[in-house]
Amino acid sequence: MKARSPLLLFVLALLAAAVGAAAALAGHTSHSAKAATPKRGGSITIARIEDSQSFDKTNVFQNESIWPVEQINEPLYTVTSDGRGVKPWLATSYTQSNGGKTYTFKLRPGVKFSNGKTMTSADVKFSIDDARAQLKGWGYLDAAIKNITAPNPSTVVFHLKYQWAPFLADIALFANGIIPNHFAGQTRTAFYKHPIGTGPFMWDKQVVGQSVTFKRNPFYWQKGKPYLDSVTWTFVTDENTRELQLRGGQIQVDEFPPFNSITKLQNTSGVTMSLFPSTRTDYLDMNEKYPPLADVHVRRAISYAIDRKAIVKSVLFGHGTPANSFLPPQVPFYSKSSGGLQFNMAQAKAEMAKSKYPKGFKVSVLVGAGAQVEAAMGQILQNQLKQLGISVTFKQQDTSTEFQNIQKQNYQLGFSYWTMDIADPDELVAFAIDPKGGGAHSFYTDYNNPTVINLSHQAERETNIPKRAKLYTKLQQIAAHDAFLGFLYYSPFRYAYSSKLHGFFVYPLGNYHLEDAWLG
Amino acid sequence: MTLGGYVVRRLLHLVPITLGVTVLVFFLIHLVPGDPAATILGNQATPARVALLHHEWGLDRPIYVQYWKFMGRVVHGNLGDSLFYSVSAGHLVLQRLPVTLWLIGLGALLSVAIAVPLAALAATKRDRLPDHLVRAVPLLGLGFPPFWVGIVLLLVFGLNLGRAFPVGGYGSGFVGHLHSMFLPALTVAFGIAPILIRSLRASLLEVLESDYVTTARSKGLPESRVLVRHALRNAIVSTVSVLGVNIGYLVGGTLVIEQVYALPGIGQLMINSIFQRDFPVVQAVTLVFSIMVVLVYLLSDVVHALLDPRVRFD
Repeated sequence: MKARSPLLLFVLALLAAAVGAAAALAGHTSHSAKAATPKRGGSITIARIEDSQSFDKTNVFQNESIWPVEQINEPLYTVTSDGRGVKPWLATSYTQSNGGKTYTFKLRPGVKFSNGKTMTSADVKFSIDDARAQLKGWGYLDAAIKNITAPNPSTVVFHLKYQWAPFLADIALFANGIIPNHFAGQTRTAFYKHPIGTGPFMWDKQVVGQSVTFKRNPFYWQKGKPYLDSVTWTFVTDENTRELQLRGGQIQVDEFPPFNSITKLQNTSGVTMSLFPSTRTDYLDMNEKYPPLADVHVRRAISYAIDRKAIVKSVLFGHGTPANSFLPPQVPFYSKSSGGLQFNMAQAKAEMAKSKYPKGFKVSVLVGAGAQVEAAMGQILQNQLKQLGISVTFKQQDTSTEFQNIQKQNYQLGFSYWTMDIADPDELVAFAIDPKGGGAHSFYTDYNNPTVINLSHQAERETNIPKRAKLYTKLQQIAAHDAFLGFLYYSPFRYAYSSKLHGFFVYPLGNYHLEDAWLG
Repeated sequence: MTLGGYVVRRLLHLVPITLGVTVLVFFLIHLVPGDPAATILGNQATPARVALLHHEWGLDRPIYVQYWKFMGRVVHGNLGDSLFYSVSAGHLVLQRLPVTLWLIGLGALLSVAIAVPLAALAATKRDRLPDHLVRAVPLLGLGFPPFWVGIVLLLVFGLNLGRAFPVGGYGSGFVGHLHSMFLPALTVAFGIAPILIRSLRASLLEVLESDYVTTARSKGLPESRVLVRHALRNAIVSTVSVLGVNIGYLVGGTLVIEQVYALPGIGQLMINSIFQRDFPVVQAVTLVFSIMVVLVYLLSDVVHALLDPRVRFD
């Protein structure tokens, strides 16, 4: 029988040709140089688990959209690298008058948009007026602003309705980034399809659902920056593929590799694995609509029964810290002495004995389908609460259903997290403890303590920093005593990136200044 | 019935099939829990903001009104806008369709390229070592899950062996696509080839024992000619149907391979849209899937009939 030979040869030839052609196409060079001074040129690709949804900074809540858009649109003041304050950016200074109700900003001279036009106070007024008008977006954070005036091209004045302590932090929010007056002559929708800003990068191209690329802004106000020619964000759902792409040099940054691969990546040649301190805090939500969870002793018992160190060790592979407040340490006015309950099974049993449910009860916990971290935490929680007579069952749901059920308070126990958007506790505090003011039923738990709400309102108006710190310390202590949420852990922002990439630094709020990044 | 008439009649079947699919998918995706507004707004999904988005998208209207509006748009060729991306759902689908077609097409081609010679080898060496090897080894392809096969291929050919292939992505231009799609298509082929091998081997064994093959051999024709011209052509008829069915399944089953190889295909779009409850995109993708499946089966039937003159169009 001879016929098989040509057929087999054909297949082998096909495979060999493909491999050969591919090898020829896929040029690969190694390098070892580690330059000491920034070099200009080169492009990087950042791979993320989610795709950017929108570039309308005023209405988007997704980090994968916010962090790229911050490379285009910049605010008057920006967050400091420790996440606890703000520093001048497109404005160089400000003065306060009228009992702290008027802020006058001096704009940085020579700042231009990527279309070559000079930024003026008219652009600033238009940008913030547009941002604060967005009802379904971030407008609520600008609620203290009464009106804005632009007396001359380099001065902008904000008149507030009342003294507002978080004002500068709010002004530094990405949603308050500066855009050209009247959307540079475009409609709002058209403008945000390819926005224009003063940032280090400008819009280049987008393949919706796949990637977005920004290129260097030739008019950038920081002379010599950015160093990179362009930055591309891609969407790669599979974490193994992202890691292989990084090792293969196809991408330069792998955003959020899983906790179980951190140690391996730390020991991978050509890869830098960084754990940047973050404002991410994970919580166990306890819905007080479910009667047993309305009992403060039950919530305290559950909080005492959570072995946070065990969770950090087994779920985060040691890459985290047990939480002791609903505020993270990277936020101003976080208090170490907030008295957040820590693992103590004897205390947990004592609290259960004091409750209306000393013999325990049944409770369900919502777990996202495919959410490995939640599933593992659920298992640990189930074992620990069993010792209190609390029988935990799992309700596994896809993420959208899980979100919806938590937001509709159609759950008993659930997991959630928060990352800060401003360098001030006000945003999270209002959301977490003020059922009406925050609009989210106190993190969807129905927690309602008038003393805490009152402290929050006082802190919003208190501009004396030591007095404000005292208010927030007291607030955190009461909230911790009430155990309205189970504070679980603080975890870092995880980035694995090419060792050739320098100057890449992630701030505690999750943003990064890519004008400082360069390829060596 | 002529071939043309048969094709037209089968194409007409598309109308009730796609209509049925739209009804089923529309009501199922709207009735399952989950809310696109909750997904988009995340932690900031206050009831007021959710209500504003629902109103903007028309989700605050009765479901039959929403379906009526959807069908009104469909008959004008408009599948609506993605709730997540605010661009046309039809545009999103068309943008990703070539990726999936490349994957299915090249995967089918490689499956045939692997299966035909191996089945011929097995059939002609019946019950000998090559036959046993061909019957046993490809079954591993069925046993290993595609995501595992994909990762192994990426590790071997993407990171090692001279980094011959890119680690994921679709590439650009014909050569770039061919280069990028080879490993994903090979992963597809590993799943389909074993089925084709078994089917073709069995058919070949039957055909090789038939009278006309004996006659061909008795005429003194070379064995290769007997195999290729006489046996293979007749044996391959049933395998075409098997391939058609598998490609039909593959149309909706490329997701895992697309995820592992970071391919921006229609399967990935489908699953992401389901998780995000991006209703217009889910509807658009399922509509396209249903049309593709019908067309693949039609093509398979036509090829079957062209290869086998005994098959009649009716």
